[in-house]
Amino acid sequence: MTLPQFKFLAPTNLDEACALLKKHQGKIKVKAGGTDMIVRLSHRAVKPDYLMTLKKIPGLNEISWDDQGGLVIGALALLREVEVSPIILEHAPMLARAAHATATVQIRNMGTVMGNICNASPSADNIPTLVAMEASIVAFSERGQREISLDDFFLGPGRTALAADELAIAIKVPAPAPKTGVSYQKVSQRSKVDIAAVNIGALVTLDGAGNCARVRISMGAVGPTPLRARQAEEFLAGKPASAANLAEAGRLAAADASPISDVRASKEYRKLMVEVLSQRALAEASGFAAGN
Amino acid sequence: MSDNQDFSVVGKSLPRSDARIKAVGAAQYADDIFLPGMLYGKLLRSPVAHARIKSIDTSAAEALPGVKCVITGADIPKIKYGNWRLVPESQDEYALAIDKVRFIGDEVAAVAALDKDTAEEAVRLIKVEYEELPGAFSVDEALAENAPVIHDEYQQQTPNISLDRKISYGDLDRAFAEADLILDDVFTVHATSHAYMEPCSCVAEYDHDGRLTIWTSTQAPYFVQCLLALTLEMRENDIRVIKPYVGGGFGGKMEMRPWEFCAAFIARKLGRPVKFTLTREEELATGRRRHPMKIHSKVAFRKDGMILGKEFIVHLDGGAYNSMGPTACFLCGNFGAMLYNYPNYRYYGAHVYTNKPPAGAMRGFGAPQALFVAETQMNMAAEKLGLDPIDIRLMNAMETGDEIPGVATISSCGFKESLLKVAEMTDWRERRKNLKPGQGIGIGCYSFISGGVFNWFNTRYNFTRAEVRAFDDGTVHLMTMASDIGQGCDTVLRQILAEELGLKISDIRLTAADTAVTPQADLGTWGSRVTLMAGNAVRKAAQEIKEQLYKMVSLKFDLNVIHDMRCKDGKIFPANRPDRNISFGEAVRMAQRANRGEPIIGYGSYTPRNKGLVTPAFSFGAQVAECEVDRETGAIEVKYMTTAHDCGTPINPMAVEGQLEGSVHMGLGYALCEQFIMKEGKTLNTTFLDYKLACAEDMPPGVSVHIDTYEPDGPFGAKEAGEGLVSPTAPAIADAVYHATGYRCMDLPITPLKLLKGMKKI
Amino acid sequence: MKKELITLNINGDDIEVAVHPWRTLNEVLRDELHLTGTKLGCGTGDCGACTVLLDGRSVSSCLTLAVEAEGHEITTIEGLSPEADHGDLEHSPLHPIQESFIQKGAIQCGFCTPGMIMSAKFLLDHTPQPTEAEIRAGLSGNLCRCTGYNKIVDAIADAADKLAKGE
Repeated sequence: MTLPQFKFLAPTNLDEACALLKKHQGKIKVKAGGTDMIVRLSHRAVKPDYLMTLKKIPGLNEISWDDQGGLVIGALALLREVEVSPIILEHAPMLARAAHATATVQIRNMGTVMGNICNASPSADNIPTLVAMEASIVAFSERGQREISLDDFFLGPGRTALAADELAIAIKVPAPAPKTGVSYQKVSQRSKVDIAAVNIGALVTLDGAGNCARVRISMGAVGPTPLRARQAEEFLAGKPASAANLAEAGRLAAADASPISDVRASKEYRKLMVEVLSQRALAEASGFAAGN
Repeated sequence: MSDNQDFSVVGKSLPRSDARIKAVGAAQYADDIFLPGMLYGKLLRSPVAHARIKSIDTSAAEALPGVKCVITGADIPKIKYGNWRLVPESQDEYALAIDKVRFIGDEVAAVAALDKDTAEEAVRLIKVEYEELPGAFSVDEALAENAPVIHDEYQQQTPNISLDRKISYGDLDRAFAEADLILDDVFTVHATSHAYMEPCSCVAEYDHDGRLTIWTSTQAPYFVQCLLALTLEMRENDIRVIKPYVGGGFGGKMEMRPWEFCAAFIARKLGRPVKFTLTREEELATGRRRHPMKIHSKVAFRKDGMILGKEFIVHLDGGAYNSMGPTACFLCGNFGAMLYNYPNYRYYGAHVYTNKPPAGAMRGFGAPQALFVAETQMNMAAEKLGLDPIDIRLMNAMETGDEIPGVATISSCGFKESLLKVAEMTDWRERRKNLKPGQGIGIGCYSFISGGVFNWFNTRYNFTRAEVRAFDDGTVHLMTMASDIGQGCDTVLRQILAEELGLKISDIRLTAADTAVTPQADLGTWGSRVTLMAGNAVRKAAQEIKEQLYKMVSLKFDLNVIHDMRCKDGKIFPANRPDRNISFGEAVRMAQRANRGEPIIGYGSYTPRNKGLVTPAFSFGAQVAECEVDRETGAIEVKYMTTAHDCGTPINPMAVEGQLEGSVHMGLGYALCEQFIMKEGKTLNTTFLDYKLACAEDMPPGVSVHIDTYEPDGPFGAKEAGEGLVSPTAPAIADAVYHATGYRCMDLPITPLKLLKGMKKI
Repeated sequence: MKKELITLNINGDDIEVAVHPWRTLNEVLRDELHLTGTKLGCGTGDCGACTVLLDGRSVSSCLTLAVEAEGHEITTIEGLSPEADHGDLEHSPLHPIQESFIQKGAIQCGFCTPGMIMSAKFLLDHTPQPTEAEIRAGLSGNLCRCTGYNKIVDAIADAADKLAKGE
C-alpha cells in the first residue's frame, strides 16, 4: 500500500526540531530509522500531517563510554552499530545481544535502539536489558533537558512519558557495579527470526559472600508495558543464586506477569515462559556476575 | 533400469537457462511491465464474512480526480466461473460480488486510476451497505442444524456440502472383524499460505481490434484464457494470455482471478492498459490456501503388522467457494489408499462451504493432509504392535506392478528401496535407541501423482502439445504452453529436446506460455504434470523432426533400410557407423531443399491413455527427520533431514534437489510454524511478521538420494519430483517430536503450547 | 502537494527525480525509474525482496523514503556487475555472487534473488569468510519459498571462496 500524504520535515538541529514539535503538536510524528513508522503509516495506524526525521541532526548517533558516567547511546545509533560496537561489546555485551536479536539484518541496518524503545511495544527486544541495567532516556525540549528512568518511561503500548514537545535524544546506561552480570533471554513461538513472544532482561550483582545483593528483572510482552518482577527481585535479595532459589524466583516472576493471548502466543504459554526464561536469565546473569 | 551414463544432456545438473536473467534482475514479472498510458487498479473487498449487499455508492470514488473507472457486480455480465467446467453447477464465483459476499475479502468493486494513490483513495470512498448474515467458520458450524446456507441458490442434498466423493472396494467390515488392532482417530490439519514471493499481478491491454492481451502471474494461461472468455462474453481466440516470469505459484495461481477479470474488463472498456497488483496483506488475508480438513481414519491391522483395511472420512473446509476443492476432495481419497496395499478401503470425502477465504490447490493437493494422517497412524501402529516403523512399512509397501483398484497399476516404484536407503543412511535402528533426552528421530513417506488424468476442466484439446521448428543453422525453436513458474520446466524441456536431437541447450530457443503463439494445448503447471506430459510431447515433436532428417542421412550414404539412427553432438548418423554423419543444420538444409522450401517442423502431443483416471505414474519416497526439543520452552529445532526418493530419471538432478529442499521448507512450515490465525472468518496474521515462513536459520541441512527407477510412461524414464515431497516432512517431524517428548500431534501445526500441554507442563 | 526535485545517486549515476515526500525508494526505483530488478514482496520489511544497498548497507527499499535516500549511494541489483559484457556469455562473468547463485542452483522462481544477492553482498563485504551459521544469520531478512535456502547458502559460501581467491 502507498503511504498517506504528509509534509516532511528534516530539521538540522535540536532547537529547530523542538520548535517544530511544539508548533505541530498532535499533528506530527517523529521518525529515526522509520522501520516501524513506515509500516504504521502504510497500514494507516497513524496519519500525521507532518513527519519529522531526526537524521539530519548531527551528533545523535554517538556511542560513548566513561567509567563514571557509563554508556551513552545516541538516538540515531543504528541497531547494527550497537550490535557490533566495540564499546558496547566491551562494557555492555548484553545490549549487543539484544540488538542482534532484533528483527532482521536490513531492519538493523535502518532502525535504531531508541526507535525500538520509543515505539513502546511491549515485546521490544531492546527494552528488558536496558530496564534491568537501570537505563534512562535523555529528553530534550525548549524547556531544557531531563532524564527519565526507563522504569517510568512506558505508560502503555505505544505511549511514553515523553511530553509532546520533547525529543528523546540519548539513552544513558550507568556503569554496572563490580560483580554484576546481565542476561537477555527471548522465546519466539515459531522461528529464530521472530518477534518475541516473551523476553526477559535480568541484572544480578553479587555481594562478597556470593549472594545476590541486587537483582533487577524486566519482563517483555507480558503486560501493556515492560514489567518488573518485583516479588522475584525481593525474594532473591540476600540469597544465593541456587537452583531452588532461581526456581522460586521464576514462579514469583510468573505471578507478576499479566500477559494476554494474541496472534503471537497465548496467555498460558507466556506465563510459563516467564518462569522458564527468568530462571535462565538469572542463572546466566549470576554466572556472569561471579566471573566479573 | 537407467541409462544416465549414455545421456549427453538429460541427467546433468545444468544451471537453469533463466538463471542469468534472474541473477541480473532483468527477468520481467507482471508487475515489472509498464505500458504507455497504463492505469493502476485496486479492488474493494468485503470487510464482512457473510452478508447481502444492500447498496453500493460509487459516486464519491468516481468524482475523485484521476479516477477513470469504477465497476461493481452490477456492471459485469452475470456469469459464474470456476475451474471445474465439467460440472457447471460447481462454478460458483462471480468476478465481483453480485447480491452477496461470502468471506472477508470477497471482491466487491474495482477502480482504475492514474496512479496507485488515487486508486487506493477511491476504493476507500466507495460506500457499501451490507445486511450481515450469520456465518459458519468451521466444518462443524457449517454442517450444524440451522447453519447459515452459504450458497442458497443451489439445491444441495446437505446444505453447505458442495460436492462429495465415495470410493469403496473389498470387504471392509470383515477386515475390521478380523483385525488384531484397530486405530480409530480423528485428526485436524490446518490451512497454510502458498506464500509465493511474487504477489499476484497482471496487466491487461486492449488491441483495439477486438483482442485483449493480458500478462499475468499464472500457472495456467489456458484456464485464464477460457474463463476470461466465458466471463467477458468474448471468444477464446480474442484473448491472448501471456505468462511473463512468475515468482512461484505452488497451486495458488491456477485459476482465473477477479483482478484478471477486472483488468481485462476495464482495459476493454477504456481502451487503456490497466495493471492490478495485490499487496502481501491482500494475499495473506484473502488469498487461496491449503485446505484445512477434519479426517476420521480407522485402520485395521493384523498383529504381525499387515494392513487389512481402512476407512477414511474427510471433511474439507473449503471456504466460500469451490475453487480447486473438488479436486482436492477426489485426490484425498486416492492418497488415503496410496503407499501401502489396502486390500479393503472405503472413502467418503465432502467439500464443505464456510465463510472463510476459499482454499484451493496447493502443493500436494490433498496429499499432505491425507499422508500426515496415514503416516502418523503407521507410526502409531508400529508402536502398538511392537514393530519398527520401517519394518511395518516394508511389509505393506507398494511395489512395481501393484494395482490400486479402479485407479491404476504402478508402473514403477522405488518405495521399498527408499525405505531401506533412509534406514541405512541414518543408521535408523541404532540411532533410534541411542538418543539423548529431547532428541527424536521420526519417519514419514509419500507417493504422488505425475499429472492428473481426470479432465475436470473439460479441455477440448490434447493435455499438452509441443511444436519444434528446426533451422539450417543447427538450432531449433521449441514452442509450448508449459508454464515455468520457477520450478524449472523451461530448462527441463530444453534438456529433453537437446537430448533427443543431439543438440546443446544453447542451440534451443524457447517460446512458452503465450496463448497466441504457443500450441493451443496445455493445462498448465499443477499436479506435477509438466515434466512427464510436456516432456513426452516434446520428445514426440523431436521424433518427428528426426524422422525427416534421418531420410537425408539414408539418402546421402545410400544406407540399408535397417540402420538405426542417432542424433548426437550436433550430428546425425547410423548407430554403428558414426563416421557417416551429417551435421544437424546440414540435414535440415537438405530436407528443406528436398521439400521445396517447406520448413522442418515437428509436432507432438500427449494425453494419458490407458492409465486410469488418476495419473500416468506415481513417485515414491521416504524421509527421516531428526529433531531436538527444548522441553521447557517447547521450541523444536529440526536438525537434519534424510530423504530417499524415486522420481524415475532425474532430468536435472540439481533442479530436483532444489525442488526437494523447497519441499522440506514448505513441509517444515506446515508442521511447525505456518498457520492462519482466524477469528470469525477474519485472518489476523496478514504480514510476514506474523505469518511465519521458516527463514534460513530455521532450515536444517540434509542429504537426499535418488532411487534409481525408470518410469516407462515418462520421458527418458522421468516422473514427478518435488511436489510429493512436501508430504512426508510433517509426519516425520511429528514422529520425531513424539519420540523426543511423548507428545503425538494429531492436530497440526505442532506449536510449543500444544507440545507443552501434551507434556503436561501447562 | 507539490513534488520535490531530488537527486538520487543510483549505481553511480546521479538521477533527478521529482517525488512526493511519502514516496518510498522502492516506488521511485520501480514505478518512476523502471529499475525493476528490485522487487516488492511485502511492503513491511519482512521478506527482503526489495533489498538495496545504501552507502553499502543492506536496507529495505520499501521502508526507505526516497527523499531520505538523497545524498547516499544507492546500489541495486542492476549495478552489481557494471563491467559485464552481456553479449559475451562465456568470457564475461557477472559478480562472483551472481555467478555462484547461477552455478549452484540457488535460483528458482527468481523473485527473491535480487534481494538475496544484495544481502549476500552486504554479508561478504563485512564478513569475507563467513561460517555456515553466519551465512544463515546474514539471510535473516530474506525469505525464499522455492529453494529451502540450502543452495543459496552453498552459493554464498562458494562466492566467498571465489572472492578470497580474487576471482
